[in-house]
Amino acid sequence: MANNSYSTAEIAANAPRYRRKSSTFIDGIHDVPEQGSMAPAQLYSTMSGRLFHSGRIAIAMVGLPARGKTHICVSMARYLQWLGVKTRIFHLGDYRRATVGEGGQVPQDYFYPNASPASVMLRQKILKKCREDIYAWLNHENGQVAIYDAVNPTASGRRSLAKEFAKHDVQTLFLESYVDNEDILKENARNVKISSPDFHGMDPDEAASHYLKRIEEKIPVFETMQEEELNYVKMINAGQAFFYNNVSFNYLSHRIVFYLTNLHIKHRTTFFVRAGPATDEDSYKADAPLSEEGRAYAVKMTETLLRHRDQERQAVIDEGGPDLPLRPLTVWTSTRLRTIETGEPLKEMGYKVRQRSQMSQINPGVCEKLSERAIRSLYPEEVERHELDPYHHRYPRAESYHDLAVRLEPIILELEREQNDLLIIAHESVLRVLYSYLMHCNTRDIPKLKFPRDEIIEIIPASYQNEAKRIHIPGLDPSTIPGSPEDIRIPVPGPPSGQLSPIPGMSSPATAEGSESIFTVRPPEKVVNKAKEMVADKVADED
Amino acid sequence: MAPKTNGIGVQVEGTRICVVMVGLPARGKSYIAQKAQRYLKWLSIPAATFNVGNYRRHDSPSPSADFFDTNNPVGERKRRAAAEAAVQDMLRWFRAGGVVGILDATNSTKERRKWVIDRVRDEGVEVIFVESKCDDEALIMANIRDVKTTSPDYKGQDPEEAAQDFRNRIRNYEKVYKTINADGDEDDLTYLKIMNVGKQVIINRIQDYLQSRIVYYLMNLHIRPRSVWLSRHGESMLNLEGRIGGDADLSYRGDEYARKLPQLVLDSVGSDRPLTVWTSTLKRTINTARHLPPHYNQLQWKALDELDAGVCDGMTYQEISDMYPEDFQARDEDKYNYRYRGGESYRDVVIRLEPIIMELERSEDILIISHQAVIRCIYAYFMQKTQEESPWVPVPLHTLMKLTPRAYGTEVQTYKANIKAVSTWRGKGSTAKHEDPAPEGGV
Repeated sequence: MANNSYSTAEIAANAPRYRRKSSTFIDGIHDVPEQGSMAPAQLYSTMSGRLFHSGRIAIAMVGLPARGKTHICVSMARYLQWLGVKTRIFHLGDYRRATVGEGGQVPQDYFYPNASPASVMLRQKILKKCREDIYAWLNHENGQVAIYDAVNPTASGRRSLAKEFAKHDVQTLFLESYVDNEDILKENARNVKISSPDFHGMDPDEAASHYLKRIEEKIPVFETMQEEELNYVKMINAGQAFFYNNVSFNYLSHRIVFYLTNLHIKHRTTFFVRAGPATDEDSYKADAPLSEEGRAYAVKMTETLLRHRDQERQAVIDEGGPDLPLRPLTVWTSTRLRTIETGEPLKEMGYKVRQRSQMSQINPGVCEKLSERAIRSLYPEEVERHELDPYHHRYPRAESYHDLAVRLEPIILELEREQNDLLIIAHESVLRVLYSYLMHCNTRDIPKLKFPRDEIIEIIPASYQNEAKRIHIPGLDPSTIPGSPEDIRIPVPGPPSGQLSPIPGMSSPATAEGSESIFTVRPPEKVVNKAKEMVADKVADED
Repeated sequence: MAPKTNGIGVQVEGTRICVVMVGLPARGKSYIAQKAQRYLKWLSIPAATFNVGNYRRHDSPSPSADFFDTNNPVGERKRRAAAEAAVQDMLRWFRAGGVVGILDATNSTKERRKWVIDRVRDEGVEVIFVESKCDDEALIMANIRDVKTTSPDYKGQDPEEAAQDFRNRIRNYEKVYKTINADGDEDDLTYLKIMNVGKQVIINRIQDYLQSRIVYYLMNLHIRPRSVWLSRHGESMLNLEGRIGGDADLSYRGDEYARKLPQLVLDSVGSDRPLTVWTSTLKRTINTARHLPPHYNQLQWKALDELDAGVCDGMTYQEISDMYPEDFQARDEDKYNYRYRGGESYRDVVIRLEPIIMELERSEDILIISHQAVIRCIYAYFMQKTQEESPWVPVPLHTLMKLTPRAYGTEVQTYKANIKAVSTWRGKGSTAKHEDPAPEGGV
């Protein structure tokens, strides 16, 4: 749970060094990272904390509201942080809200080019506060990439912004999201802004049109980027095309563009499930097929998943949403037999199943088939080192979680690219790493995440932060539920905390909740996300 | 069919891509094609280039400029036949398991592009166009003098005359050249357009991950002339003892090399234009770089550290073969994939070097001072060495290597410091001792 009672705006305005911590079941993308921790896929570290031999960079967003800017910012920050680049988002809107106060409004002419002196003063004040925070973070907290989320509508404003940043030894890369496709605009408006009370009870299409019109009135002048002397990337119609004006940019910016070419802003969800139990679970090398229980599991999992998708769709219709067909579902498995066979029922029903060799489970190396006691007596020094850093340490001939994360990087880019709903059937170790990307977990927690077999995890993307939901699979044999036996069998050390499992209040059901009837159908459970309230006004706001 | 996967994890999933080059002559197309092929092969993706010019040359070895006039029916027919032959060979290659085929030709008209799409899509191969557009006359002439006058078409001709003939040949193409989507009716194509050597780039309708990866790589390329210098660190104290890995100081002779390196570099560069020096984070490379001129910018990369030998770090080959005889043999059998206990394989090193390669591609003059295995992997990238060959390439101590990428391949020059050092090379299947490489294996 988010254990704070501040609003983003207050925090942003009053406490530049605030520390916020979410549980692992809530996307931690906006958490302040711990000092000195290595990111999941970070290849190396430097004294300055900056990577890729790039200096300090401000990525300034450009674009009107409903162009998916926040989604782009958050996704980009997620990816860069995963690579180990210290990245933080500064939403100008937070500063505006904090300055005008609770329930306050900016003057009508706030975004006008010929605004009144009072409005211009207010604008300057808000900008200054935000920029000062950016400099403080870059200068005193080893920050490398500051993402500046604002409309930045005019060429003159952008030129002076770049000049101002340059004075502080910060390079500026502008990133414009340019959309002239009406369908995408409406879809964005529908997805993000519909929760605003202003549009309550309105037909979604009508609400979207209203909303887009209001933007035009509020921000009458917007100049798309054409400044030859500035570094900019123009993302056109949510990634259909890119225009790249490169004056002096480097590896890191190319890497960002590479990531963005795989990003899209269509709404879709990702499901995670474990592979069923195999006949010989002990062996990494054996690649055993599913056991009888495993095949029963595959059938039950499939039923639960399909039922859940139908229910969700019905719920949308019942709430007055549009009667849209289900999004197609794609299934990814590893190339290991038990994941392939777990996907078999879906394949038989005609769903597209793809095998991804990068999704093989973590290689246990010499620890294969060894009991915890055997590992401790055979490799006491390795165990000691492992306990110091369970994420990065690798047992002889084994892979570390870090190795696994680096290996999974292309999967992550393809996961971003996928437009269908996606079911990932994989091993617990792989789910840990993929989950940690989508939900931004700390590397210390990743090896401890638990994915019991009787649950499907659903990740629902939202522009501000992702949410996870767990869906109970009823009627499974309790012996098949607990953690992955093919992993290295040394319990990951560390103080037990609420962050151990992505499932709050539930560790391993086979032990902790053994008494509960497994035949009870637990309703899908959405974790209460306080952070959402905190961003409710953000979402309804025009920026 | 064998799974199309490689160590870095670019799984291609049955997607096959035809990269179709577009652009007037002397815009660096062949260079781009050849680089893309090199990069993909380094990542273990089967890739090949089909150069229409080579097919045409077979029929008409040294044509004059008017051969390329579109109004010359004989020339036009022959060029069409050459394109047809290249495409046919490419499709045959795709059927045999090829993954990325590069069609290197001007493809400068809408009709020709349409023709390529029709031919290739019928086979279920995706098409991505890569256009290099340049209107900087100085850059074009520089490229002509640098590359084209050494082209097989002008063998034995006067260079200035050749350059002029070539410029005229381009004029014939200019008459019909249409940049991609100039009229707005090619918007549904997947393409990458690089204008004036990367100053502006347009990326349109990328369809899948492999395409995005190719585009990403090509965006990091430039065609300004440059070289990359490679050197191992000077001989270390552990080298003297025949031990691998570790973080030792330089030996007396190693330090002598460090002191001689500035002159060696100066001789090779030929001027005092500064290089950027990249070292690993280990003492022996940093100390090797310490006498270089102060106006050389120096950077330390963790990714340039030596292959991690895990439990064998600091051991001699003899000790390794005594303690881990099976490992020692396993490593000889498949050195590229063998991962030391608790350490790394060559494949692992290639993965961690990928950002270095990207950075190298976008940089100009770089001097890399690193370690045997790392230099081998970088060398393999530039010289297109296979995975079987690269882990065995001899990289002697106290030798500076200069690699200059050219349109038709990479040139290598070596500069010996003539300072004695132990050999750190060991042949495949040989005894557990360092030995001198066979003379013909020399770099």
